[in-house]
Formats: sequence, structure tokens, C-alpha cells
Amino acid sequence: MFSLKQPKPTFKSYLLPQADDNTVSEPRIKKLEPVLLPGEIVVNEVNFVRKCIATDTSQYDLWGKLVCTNFKISFITDDPMPLQKFHYKNLLLGEHDVPLTCIEQIVTVNDTKRKQKVLGPNQKLKFNPTELIIYCKDFRIVRFRFDEAGPESAKKVCLAIAHYSQPTDLQLLFAFEYVGEIYHNPAKKVNGIDPGGGGIGNASGQQTPLFETYSDWDREIKRTGASEWRVCSVNEGYMISTCLPEYFVVPSSLADQDLKLYSYSFIGRRMPLWSWNHPNGSALVRMANIKDVLQQRRIDQRICNAITRSHPLRSDVYKSDLDKCLPNIQEIQAAHIKLKQLCVNEPFDETEEKWLSSLENTRWLEYVRAFLKHSAELVYMMECKHVSVVLQEEEGRDLSCLAASLIQVMLDPYFRTIVGFQSLIQKEWVMAGYQFLDRCNHLKRSDKESPLFLMFLDCVWQLLEQYPAAFEFSEVYLTILYDSARISLFGTFLFNCPHQRVKESTEFAISKNIQLGDEKGLRFPCVWDWSLQFSSRDRLLFHNPLYIGKSAPSVHNGALWTFKRSKKNYSSTLRGVPPALKNGIISEQEFLPRRNSLILKLKPDFFQPAEGQSHSMEQYFRDWFAKPVDLHGIILPHLSGTQIKLWKLCYFRWVPEAQINHGGSITAFHRVSLLADEVDMLNRSLRQYKSNSSLQGHCSELDQSRMYFRANGLNDTSGAPDFLSSSFPFSPVGNLCRRSILGTPLSKFLSGAKIWLSTETLANED
Amino acid sequence: MIRKLAENTPKTWACSIIEADQAPIPGMASSSTPKYNSNSLESSSSKWTLKDGTNWEQNEEIPRLPGETRVTDKDVIYMCPFNGPVKGRVYITNYRLYLRSVENDPVVILNVPLGVISRIEKMGGASSRGENSYGLDITCKDMRNLRFALKQEGHSRRDIFEVLTKYAFPQSHNSLFFAFVNEEKFSENGWMVYNPMSEYRRQGLPNERWRVTFINEHYGLCDTYPSLLVVPYNATDDDLKKVAAFRSRNRIPVLSWIHPETQAVIMRCSQPLVGMSGKRNKDDERYLDIIREANGQISKLTIYDARPNVNAVANKATGGGYEGEDAYPNAELFFLDIHNIHVMRESLKKLKDIVYPNVEESHWLSSLESTHWLEHIKLVLTGAIQVADKVSSGRSSVLVHCSDGWDRTAQLTSLAMLMLDSYYRTIEGFEVLVQKEWISFGHKFASRIGHGDKNHADADRSPIFLQFIDCVWQMSKQFPTAFEFNEQFLITILDHLYSCRFGTFLYNSEFLREKEKVTEKTLSLWSLINSEKSKYTNPFYSKEVNRALYPVASMRHLELWVNYYIRWNPRIRQQQPNPVEQRYMELLALRDDYIRRLEELQITNNSKISNSSASSTSPSQMVSQVQTHF
Repeated sequence: MFSLKQPKPTFKSYLLPQADDNTVSEPRIKKLEPVLLPGEIVVNEVNFVRKCIATDTSQYDLWGKLVCTNFKISFITDDPMPLQKFHYKNLLLGEHDVPLTCIEQIVTVNDTKRKQKVLGPNQKLKFNPTELIIYCKDFRIVRFRFDEAGPESAKKVCLAIAHYSQPTDLQLLFAFEYVGEIYHNPAKKVNGIDPGGGGIGNASGQQTPLFETYSDWDREIKRTGASEWRVCSVNEGYMISTCLPEYFVVPSSLADQDLKLYSYSFIGRRMPLWSWNHPNGSALVRMANIKDVLQQRRIDQRICNAITRSHPLRSDVYKSDLDKCLPNIQEIQAAHIKLKQLCVNEPFDETEEKWLSSLENTRWLEYVRAFLKHSAELVYMMECKHVSVVLQEEEGRDLSCLAASLIQVMLDPYFRTIVGFQSLIQKEWVMAGYQFLDRCNHLKRSDKESPLFLMFLDCVWQLLEQYPAAFEFSEVYLTILYDSARISLFGTFLFNCPHQRVKESTEFAISKNIQLGDEKGLRFPCVWDWSLQFSSRDRLLFHNPLYIGKSAPSVHNGALWTFKRSKKNYSSTLRGVPPALKNGIISEQEFLPRRNSLILKLKPDFFQPAEGQSHSMEQYFRDWFAKPVDLHGIILPHLSGTQIKLWKLCYFRWVPEAQINHGGSITAFHRVSLLADEVDMLNRSLRQYKSNSSLQGHCSELDQSRMYFRANGLNDTSGAPDFLSSSFPFSPVGNLCRRSILGTPLSKFLSGAKIWLSTETLANED
Repeated sequence: MIRKLAENTPKTWACSIIEADQAPIPGMASSSTPKYNSNSLESSSSKWTLKDGTNWEQNEEIPRLPGETRVTDKDVIYMCPFNGPVKGRVYITNYRLYLRSVENDPVVILNVPLGVISRIEKMGGASSRGENSYGLDITCKDMRNLRFALKQEGHSRRDIFEVLTKYAFPQSHNSLFFAFVNEEKFSENGWMVYNPMSEYRRQGLPNERWRVTFINEHYGLCDTYPSLLVVPYNATDDDLKKVAAFRSRNRIPVLSWIHPETQAVIMRCSQPLVGMSGKRNKDDERYLDIIREANGQISKLTIYDARPNVNAVANKATGGGYEGEDAYPNAELFFLDIHNIHVMRESLKKLKDIVYPNVEESHWLSSLESTHWLEHIKLVLTGAIQVADKVSSGRSSVLVHCSDGWDRTAQLTSLAMLMLDSYYRTIEGFEVLVQKEWISFGHKFASRIGHGDKNHADADRSPIFLQFIDCVWQMSKQFPTAFEFNEQFLITILDHLYSCRFGTFLYNSEFLREKEKVTEKTLSLWSLINSEKSKYTNPFYSKEVNRALYPVASMRHLELWVNYYIRWNPRIRQQQPNPVEQRYMELLALRDDYIRRLEELQITNNSKISNSSASSTSPSQMVSQVQTHF
């Protein structure tokens, strides 16, 4: 059925070159040995383990060795993966591996004694498990059986997994061990790439700005034309606030001294942070609440005045209190748990009848819609009312991250490119102090868990679904990005704020005798260094074949009427389409004349429509939707219940029953990819003809194809490959929902559980 | 090549206007806003808006088809549920109701074939107070209502009401359907699309086990079956007559489709006349055994009774029933739990309540669930999957029936055939499928749709065919490259299911259609479609032979067909064209442009360099390949 034969996974490709180990160069690699990263050690292992593949039969089960390391659970087998394989390969993880930080719950079962137990850290197990079930945070469920394994070893492995997946301290996360090892042995590089640093953003080699430096912020100011804003360095060395970045942007009229003074009044000393400037001069600012009641009014006034002064029209500031109009993090977490229950745990058939109302009852889509709606309304304020928007939230580091990024994705096409999107996550999440450690719950002891980042990706997915040609990246990219937050290697998603990285890693460095020099803390691998995880070919899965890039030569082809886009979206703004949008960076001469001079000229024209008709928000949205979409301008979400959908690839990819074999939207994408590749090929031949260059450059250029699927010669009309399915490039095979534990339906254990599967729900333990 | 294409674009646009006039797909009125369009985009966007029948050409004549005559016109106020009252003039012809606004900019156009009208009601009286309280309310069969307000003086609505009633319901006024006066000409003749003999030959029939019988040539055996039937070779015409006596309305088991490899067949029929006393019929029992043996099958014959078990039992009271175990030991019976026409009608009514004029937003998903529409779709698809899987993987012949074998049975056999036979996924193949399993086998289109019949509350009406098309749409969503036709094709079929412009869906049976000389006196819908196939072609289609296509009949994947059911609402309509499709078309144009330019360059280069090394991507090869493609 799944006939595509892939080469057997060679461990070599992610085996690390070790200078003192000669076995690597030998052609035959010893089988059933785990592949270890620098700093990774085997904690425990057990042989003769059976990995269950299908729910109803054991005929596909795999035999192998189960290994627990300080990084992952690894199942090593000689057996080829039956049925359908994955169509990408994570270089850090084998086909059957689960990173420890991706584990949600560990359940051990003894069939004969009819016992089961959820394993916490440092717990005892009074029975020998016959079965181990791992519930993963990415909705997978993996199951191992120990019928033929040594009972004691099996038990030890289970306990080891429980222990190592629930570390008591941040510094016990594998990333620290890894980075420590790299610092001690700089020769050990994963896939030959320097694990530290910004890394390569995409195939074109563009770097993702990390916003760790003054210059990144300064460039962003220039890119968006925010001339009345400046980079402020008062927090250098985290002297003011430990949850703010070292550099951030403030109104030019606010002096450092004032800022220092005001900072005491804000929760977490989180002063207002500039996010982005609209070409019409309206700014997007995020701000924590002012805790000092006496000073509240005065400081608020001063801040708002400063923001107003930084606006070319001196327009008022529009404040949006996110705590009042959006679901809170607990509600989002509750919705996520319900969604997880519904998508993975409940028996497929039993949920069918009431699927739609059950889905509604999770409220997940309702919240997705709430974020999209509120962000769209704030887009309206900036775009039409020409006011600066201040996102106000208690600490200003949860809902604000989501709202601020969504607004920018809608308004600025740069953030719809891969590098732009990554820089947005750096700017509004990582640097702004989104508490990845707590919200992802890497240490599994926090009641602060909340999938806000996933909610953001889901909202972006909705926009991608509605405007598929507006994004450079694909939904596979979004899904893999979500998965990457569960791999405890990337500094990006490991900390609650930049300061925590510096503090914790400095402590760690001292304890490990690592010389830091003048570096601020250890440098962790960056998730944007995609080559750490994927081959360049697999990274092509990130590319959206439908994307119409501004720089793509095809678009500028004058002969084609189809590509002429109206540039209406910025028409109501002062300066038309910002030149910034070309490459993300403005060059100085592209700046338009000083704002003040322009205002005088454009002001009458500018306010006419506003006075002529009641420019209500609803009217604006209605008019906007009636117009053809400019994919390089604003995009606004359709918000009707019929248009907000469930992100099936992300949530259903492990559910075998929900998989459409040989189908799904990927089959249409496959066709588009082939055609886009063909067009690329022709374009290259054309250029080659024109430049009369030799054929030599041809081959290397061919390799640079942007498409994962390539045309097999021109006009490739061959059908879709057999392996395409609605789960592509993932596969539900081997990730199974267990229907029952000892005859009791799984849902019985789990329903009513506050946490997905809490210890209490399985009270019947030893 | 591409430059030519670009130059032609305005012409294409002009064509599409004319086309839209010829093919007035029931249109919505909306104040779509061409004024926003920049020139470069106007052509494409207007083209698409026209598909909805909306039009804003200022000095345009009232569209008229050859044979269409103007009857009356009147000043009215169209009560648009989305944009408020619209002053306009309504023109009524023997085919359509056409409204053009007089003040709005852009012009609001309403273009509705009278066949779409289900019911015309007067609202308010001569003495009604309040603005726009006096007028007409028109219920349409295509998920919308139209309201017109008229002046109260001089009973101004009386004549328009009478004219509308007369022309919308010709069956109730002893007059002809428009299809019989339509004088359109098409380059293709759609009546030639389906020839039962060649379709059976395509399937490899007759063969040594299956024969063609002309026993029903004059509809003597069964007046709701086609004249040509395929039956087991080992059953004589006499046997068939005896079997007919035991099957409801003489609809005996006959062959619909044969699997090219397994030789397993899909048979269709009506319920056996078992009755309360549990009657048996040796001939019927033997006949089913002959069917089973015809593909050399040792295992049992699988019978799918489309109904819920209880309904099948209840049917015994009226003389029907199902094949009992005792009487048919060599058969296995499964019930597929698909509800009857009345349940489906009510379900669609509920669906309309939540989508028209406004979409129920507060609890959209649970509201949708409470209509059960998708659940019914799911059951029909699940049933068809079982039938297809049994024939293909189970290598077993199946017999499908419901009560009369013309509603649920048609759904199941045609969908199973669509899953198993890629031919039916082409434009022509699908036309053949509809023509064969629905039209020729007596799906009672006239009764289910109520063509030209004023009795809007008739209990015989039911959206069975719509449900089938919805199932096809669901499949095309799950397999975007498997069907040669696009969404517009399906919507066009549904629009003309009601329009009465073509003879295709008129009358209940082949027998009646022959009596009314439909093929001589009317045009086929397939003439319209096949004359402009490109409009109905799915750009992503990639031809695949002999791949069974099993959709996932799960609520997780089934979706409401927004572009059909909510198409009148300008706020919900999805982007047209579909952006993925649009991008693909752009790329196609780009490719052609590059190929043309490469070709040009090559010609100039060839004059300089002779015999340049032939690489696999040499332009000449590219070009030849492309040409074969087109």
C-alpha cells in the first residue's frame, strides 16, 4: 500500500564524528546502538522490547531495544518501519525517538496483575510493567510491550524515563549538558554546524535578526520608518528589569532618566515596549500595568503623551486592555486540554456523532477567532484611525505576544516571509519575555502551562489557510516549528526571558568550569538553525509553492496581467507601500521625505473620507473584503464560523482513522509544486540562453530549486506519489490511541481530569 | 503566446458576459464593488462575479435566450436581505425573472430562472401600513428567498403575481416547460453523451456471464427502468418476469457496474414484496443465487439495504420488506441506516434556517450539527464506501436496494461507482454516471424537484440528488486532483436541476421522457457544459486509471459546502476564484510565456549554432511535450 521505498535510515547521518572513535569510519555500523549527541548519555536500556504499531493487531509490531538517555527515549530496531513512513527526517531524532521534553505522561501497566500507574519523578514501582505508554505533548501516544524483556530492566527503564523527563531544575535540561560539552570540545559540532549563534534562517542564507543587539532594533526602526523612536540601552546588563531585553525601543521624547524613574511603577519594571510602526506613523506598543496606584495616572499620561509625540499626526493613543477582552491563559489551557481529549483520547467512532458540538465545546476555535478578531480591530485602528495602539496587559508578556505578532502578520508582509516570521517570534516572544519555560512546562511541575504559542501558530495557520499565496512558509513549517518547541536543545524556547538564559547558563558555566570570556552566558543552539534538524532537501518542505514573493522575477514580468496587483492597501497611508517591504531592510535613500512636510500636503485628502461618511469599523471591513486582496499589503481574517477551521494537519496527523490516503490538500500542493518547479526551470534556461552562459552553472542552479516536489522533466503530468496523505509528511503509523487500559476505556480514565492525565485519575496504582 | 493571451483577456471577459447571459446561473443581487478594482484586476474579478449572475454593465440589454420572450415588467423594490431595499425594475420572461436596480451604483442585478421558484406568496394587503409592506415573497429551491415590495395603489401586484405563477408553474397551467421552446444552439450535442450500449461495452459487457436484454424495450416489464438492461446470462427473460412480480414496482435486480478484475458486480433493485406474512418467491431466490454464481463466487452474496433496520421492517406493513435469512441462505444482509426522503427534506430545511439570510454565528458548529445534514452525508458516503470496498477488496458481488430503488439506491450505486471507476471522475464520465444511474433508472426528478409544479408542500419533494452532488463535492475536497471537473461544474448541474432550461432532468422516467420526445424537443444540459469544458475543468486533475478512491467519511473531514449553500451571502462567500487554483493558473500562463520565449530564442540561436548539444531540457523538446498536452 505504501510502496515508497526509502533508503533504510542510516544512523551515520546523525552520528557524530568522534575523533577518538574509529568505528565510525567502518562501513558496517554496529546495530542497535543509540545515536548520541554531544553530552548525551545512556541512562538505562532494555532489550527485546516490542513497539506497538497498530491498534487492532500485533502483526506490524517492531522488536528492538528501548533506551533512555538524558535527551530522549530511543527505540532502536532492525525492523523496517511497516506501512507508511515519515517523509522527513529529524537529524536529532530517530524515527522512533521522543525527546524527553515532549513527554506529557508516563503510564506503566501490568496486565496480569491488572495494575497501572502514572509515573512521576522519584517514584517507586511495585510491579514489573508489561507495558509502557508514553503520552506526548504533540498528541502522540507511543506504546511499548515488555513481554519478552527482562522484567527488572524494563522496570528500571520506565523509572529512568520518569525521572529524566521530569527534571527538578532548569539546568538539568539536556541543552545545558549539550552546550557544556560543546564548549569543552568545540570540535563536536552537530552536522558540522556551529551550534551557537543566530544560524541560517533559510535556504537563501538570510540571517534571522534575533533582536539581542542594539543594531537589530535599530534596523527594525529604520525598516518601518519609525523615525520618532529610538533604541534604549538602559537595561544593558539587565540593570533595570530582568524580564525585559537588554535593548528595546521607546519614544524619542522619553529620556533614559525618565524611563528609569517610571520603571519602578510597572509590574516587573516592564516599561512600554515598541513593537512596530505602521507606514502612516502609528505605532504598536505593548505595556505592562502600572502597579503604583498613586502614580498611575501621571505616568500613564506621560507615556501616552510621549507616544503621541512620536506620531506624525500627533494622534491619540488607543489603549486595548487585553486582559479584559481576550481569553486568559487558564482558559486557553483548558480549551487545549479539551481539544487534546477530543482529537486523540476519545474513541474515534464515539465522538463522531457529536463531533461538531464537542469541538465547539472545547472553545478552542472560539478563542482562535477571538484573537484574530481583536487583532483585526486593532489593525483597523492603526490603518484607518491612524492612531497608535497600546496593548495593555498585566505583565505584558502573554496575550500581548500573541496580539502584537498577529497584528504585524496582518499588516506587514515582511512577517509573512520565513525570515520575517522568525524575527517576529524573536522580537515579540523570545525577547519580550514570553515564558516559554513555564508555558511549555518543560519542567513538568508548573501550573503555569498554557499553549499560547500554539494558539498563535494556529491563528497564523488560519490566515495561511485563507490567503495561501501570502505566506512564504507552509503549514508543515508551522507544525514543525511547534514541534521544535518540544526539543530541549534550542535556547529559543527554553527560557522565561533572555536574562534567565544569561543567569542560569553563567551559573552552569561556573559549575562546569567553562570560561565564558566576555560572552553573556552560554550560547545555545538556535531553532532557526534549521540545518541542525533537517537536511536542505527536507527544509524545502517549509516552502509554500503558492507564495508570490515580491522579489520573484516571475511577479515582475510585465507581460503578465495576472500579476499586476493593486496597491490599494497602503493607499490611505501617508507614504504608499513602504519601500521596506522589498527585502525587509530600507536603504536610506528610499526614505520618503520627512513626515511633517508630507502631512501638510496630504492631510485634507486624508481626512475627507473620514468626515464624509461614518467610517465605522464594520464598513471598513466590508469594503476591505469587497476589494481584491493585495497579498503584499494587509490581510484580514474572515471570521465567520464557517471560515475558522480546525488545523487538521497539526491535530489529526497521528490519528490513523482521520488520515485520507492518497488525498488531502497536499495532492493539489504537489501539483502546484511541480508546476512552480517547472516554471523555475524554464526561467533559468531562459536566463541562461540570454546570458549565453555555458551549461556549467546550470546544474548547480537546478539544485537550488525551491520546491520539495520537483518536476520530472517538463510538463510532468504523472500522478501524485502514493505516499501522499492528509498527514504528509507525518505518519500516524506507530502512534496509536490505546482504546482501553485493562478493559476500561481510556476516556473513562481521562474524562474530568483537570490535567490531561493526572496522577489522581489513575488511582488504582500498586 | 502569452502576449496573445493577455490581449485576449478582455475578449474572454466579453465572452463570459455573453455566456452569463446565455447561462443565467441564478444570481444574487449584491452591490459588489467594481469601483474598487484597479483596471488590471477588473477583468478577472468581474469575470468571477458574473458567475454569480451579478452584473453591472450599465447599458446592457435584458439578457434573452433564443426562444425567450418578454412577458411583463414593473417597478418594484427588491428587499435585499444583505444590502437593504433596492429600487429597480423587474422584467419577467417565459424563462426568467430579471431585476435591474435604477439608482444603485453599481447596478444591482437579479437573474433568476423561473424554474427555481418553489412558491410565490403575497405579503401584506392593500391596506397594510408601513414602508414596503405590500408585495411578493418568493421561495426558491436554491436556498434563498426573494422579496419584492410594490406600490399599493391599483392592485399593482396582481398581474405580476399571475404572470409569475403562470410561467413558474407550467405543469399546473397545462403549458410547456421553457426547455421545449428554448432555441439555443450549442457546438456539442449532450444527448449523444450517454449511450447505454457503449457504456456497457466500456465495462466489457455483455460477456459469457452477463447478457443485455431488450425485455423492457417498450417498458412492459418495468415502466421506471430503462429499456436496456444487463442481467445474468443464466437468467431467461421468463425468469425476469417472474422476479419482477416479487419486486416493488417490478424493479428487478439488474447490473449497474462490473469490476474489471474481480468480475464482482454492483446490482440494483427495489425491495422484495415480502409483506407481513413473510412471502417467499422461489424465482427471486434462485435469481439472486444466479447473480452470486455469475462471478464464480463461493461466498455469500452481499445485500445492502440502504434503510435503517426499523424502516425496512415497517415496510412489511405495506407489502415490502427485505430478504430474510431463511429464504436467502446464500445472502448476507446489511442495513445502511440512511433515512428516507422526508427526513432529508426536513434536514435541508433546517440547514436553510441557519444559513439564510444570516449565518447563525453564535453557535455555528452545534447549530450545524443540529441540522444533521452532514450526518446524513456521512451515512450515504459510509454506505457507498462499504459497497465499493465489498466489490473491490471483498471481491464479492453486491445487491443494493432501499424501498423503491430510485433514491438511496441511486446514491449508493453511483457513489460506489465513482469511487471504483476513474472514468466516472471525468467530465463526460460523470455525465454518463448521472445519465445512467439517476436519469435512466428512474430517479423521480419531476417529483423530487417539483418541476413547474405549484404544489410546494408536496411530500414527494426531497433533495436526494443535491445530497448526492454534495457527497461528490466532499470527495473532490478530499481528493483535489482526482476529478476532472471543478466545483463550478457541480454548481452548474444543481442550478439547471431547477432551471427547466434543459430537458435533462425533466420527468420521472425514461418511459415518460420518450413519450414527451424530450431528446428531440429539448436540449441537454451536457450540450452547454461540453461546449465550454474548460470552464468546468479542474486544473489540478491528474488522470489516474483504476485507483479506488475511498474518502474518509468522518465528521472530522466533512464540511459544509459553503460555496453552494451560503453563496448568496456576500459576506460569507469564499474568495473566487479559489486562491490555490488562481495561483496555479497564473503559473500555467507563466510557463507558457517562458516556453514561447525560449522557443523564440531557440529559433534565433539555431540560425547561429547548428546542432547544439541536445540536453534533456532543450526547448524544442519542451515545446513538443507541451503541445501534446494541450
